[in-house]
Amino acid sequence: MSQLIKLEVVTPERPVFSAEVAEVQFPTAARGYYGILPGHTPLMTEVGDGLLYYFQEGQKHWITVFGGFAEVGPDRVTILARESETMDMIDLERAEASRQRALKLLKEAQTEHDMANAQAKLDASLIRLQAAGHPSGHGF
Amino acid sequence: MAGLQDIRRRIRSVKNTQQVTKAMKMISAVKLRKSQERLVALRPYASKMMEVVRRVVGRIRGDSEIQPGPAAQAFLSPREEKRIRVVLVASDKGLCGGFNANVLKAATAFVSECQAEIVHVDVIGKRAAEWAKKRRLVPAGEYLNIPLAGFQRVVTEISQGASEQYHAGEIDALYVIYNYFNSAVAQTPTVFRVFPMAMDRTHEGRDAMEVPHLLEPDPNSVLETLLPRFVETELLRNLLESSASEHGARMAAMDKASNNAGEMIAKLTLTMNKIRQASITNQIIEIVSGANA
Repeated sequence: MSQLIKLEVVTPERPVFSAEVAEVQFPTAARGYYGILPGHTPLMTEVGDGLLYYFQEGQKHWITVFGGFAEVGPDRVTILARESETMDMIDLERAEASRQRALKLLKEAQTEHDMANAQAKLDASLIRLQAAGHPSGHGF
Repeated sequence: MAGLQDIRRRIRSVKNTQQVTKAMKMISAVKLRKSQERLVALRPYASKMMEVVRRVVGRIRGDSEIQPGPAAQAFLSPREEKRIRVVLVASDKGLCGGFNANVLKAATAFVSECQAEIVHVDVIGKRAAEWAKKRRLVPAGEYLNIPLAGFQRVVTEISQGASEQYHAGEIDALYVIYNYFNSAVAQTPTVFRVFPMAMDRTHEGRDAMEVPHLLEPDPNSVLETLLPRFVETELLRNLLESSASEHGARMAAMDKASNNAGEMIAKLTLTMNKIRQASITNQIIEIVSGANA
């Protein structure tokens, strides 16, 4: 059994990440976080919104993922994300502006549909802020 | 000296044409860059998606415990190909070298060799529509002058329609005929079957150690979102391949046209100078012989 997992994250806009890692934790759409270690049984599931954590040489790193699919094999994790960003791709100012906008929309929301939309926007901006270690992202 | 006048007029005309072809070449270069950027960005995602879907489908096909839903049926329970749907992708405009001719030739060959009945044709681009009309294939879907931003809508429409048709037993396979983008100057006409998926030994139980995937939370909810997404991704890629190919082909054709115009201008200018020189020489001879007399 190999000791490392080949983690690959791709989106329709760009390949985001590819490396050998020791462990992966990612959010699923239906069942919370999954933690994957080498030798995991083949698995296919839908990815949720949140931070994907991976461990490299004892260090914990993370990238954002928003929806899509994950395929797990004994020595690989392939994430076909709808959207995903590494830390250096996150625009802090944009995320903060988007959070303010979402909060405003949430207050003004009339229908449940508007409400859900605004909430989704707010969640996405909070995930980005949390990823970048911004104070507003804490307590998420 | 009527010859001289004529040649001057021709040079002017060729120069005008050259300006047009040069402008078209530059416009195509810009459009090529846009299409190519999106295509190159999508390709890794599409190929990973293909790899994953092949692996998952290859291992769970024939698994009696899974009752495939409407979208998954086309992948999991393939039927004999009797009726098929074909999507033909060409361009709206001409002046792009062999771009349309090549893909339409491939389409003609496909239609004449095809054993199954073609029950549904989608044409993308005016040239594809004209081709279908000539062959009395009535296109059920006609998409003309679709901008890059409109691709997603076309793709969703075809993907949803096709999987419903498969589910209803109206079609047994979905094909796309398009130009594959090798590089800005090279395209390959390609016939691609989206579903049922072609499986070879490398994908079917390649590794006996590997067991079928767990599909969580349950097989249907995963497959019913994954497989439509796969069909859409492939169709979108095919449209982008064709779009990038079209602009590449047009750029190459217009570059060649501009060069040819340049050559023609050089030749005409040379002829013009020769005639002018000849007339001057004649006049000098006349003057000299007149003075001598």
